[in-house]
Amino acid sequence: MLTFIVIQMANYQPGLNSVFHALADPTRRAVLQQLMHGPASVTELARPFDMALPSFLKHIAVLEACDLVSSRKSGRIRTCKLKPARLSGAERWLAGQREIWEGRTDRLAQYAETLASKEKRS
Amino acid sequence: MTEDGELDLTVSRIIKAPRAVVWAAWSDPRQLEEWWCPKPWRAEVRAFDLRPGGAFDTMMHGPNGEENFNPGSFLEVVPMERVIFTTALTEGWRPASPWLALTAIITMKDHAEGTDYCARALHGDRATRDRHEELGFHDGWNTCIAQLAAIAEKRA
Repeated sequence: MLTFIVIQMANYQPGLNSVFHALADPTRRAVLQQLMHGPASVTELARPFDMALPSFLKHIAVLEACDLVSSRKSGRIRTCKLKPARLSGAERWLAGQREIWEGRTDRLAQYAETLASKEKRS
Repeated sequence: MTEDGELDLTVSRIIKAPRAVVWAAWSDPRQLEEWWCPKPWRAEVRAFDLRPGGAFDTMMHGPNGEENFNPGSFLEVVPMERVIFTTALTEGWRPASPWLALTAIITMKDHAEGTDYCARALHGDRATRDRHEELGFHDGWNTCIAQLAAIAEKRA
C-alpha cells in the first residue's frame, strides 16, 4: 500500500517533481541513504565520492531546494539532516488516502459515463 | 455515524450515467478492475462474493512487478443503493490486521443528471494511524527512496 500511496502522490502532487529530479541522481540517493542513519557533516558525506567539493555541494543544494535535507553551519562545519516531513506527516497520510478515493471516484465516473454515452448512441 | 475530520474522508460526485450503469461498474468484478487502480497499476479482483461476510480481495499489480494484496469482506450490500466493505475483516467475518484497516461506505442515489455517488472511508483510531505513520517512516523510507528513484529515472 505504501508504494501505492507514494505513486498516487507522485501522480497528483506537482511539487513532487523536484523530489523526482533530486532522486534521479545516484550521488544524491546515496547521500539520503547515508543521512537515514543520522545527521552528518558535508565532509563525511562527500568522502565516498570521487568528486570536487564544489560539485558535491551542488548536490546538497539540490536536496535542500526540494526540502529533503536541511543543513546548518556551526563554525566551519556544515551538518546535514534528513527532513522526512516531505514524505510523512499525519496530514499527508490522510491526503494520500483522499487522493486514492478521489482518483478512484473520478475513474468510476469516467468509466460509467463512457458506457452510458455508448448505450445512448446504440 | 459521526465523521472524524482527521481520520475519515468523503468523496462525492454526480456521475452522468444511470444508476444501473454505476451499480454494474461496482458489482461486476471485471468492470471494477477497469477503474479500481490508477494506471500504470492494474487491479485484479481475486475474490468477489457480494453479500455480507463475502470475500472482497483485490491484488494491485505495479508497473515494476510490485504486488499489493488487500483482502477484505463486504459488510452490507443493498443492490443499486449501498455497498459497505472493510479490510478489518476477511471472508466469513474473520478478524484481520491489515496494514491499513478501513471501512468504506459506498452509496448511490438517482439524480437529475444521473447518479449521486458518494464514497466514505473510515479509518481506525489515531494510535493505529500513528503506528502506520511510524512504520511508513522507519521501514518505508528506504523503499520510498528506491521506488521514487525508479520513477524518477523513467521520467528523466
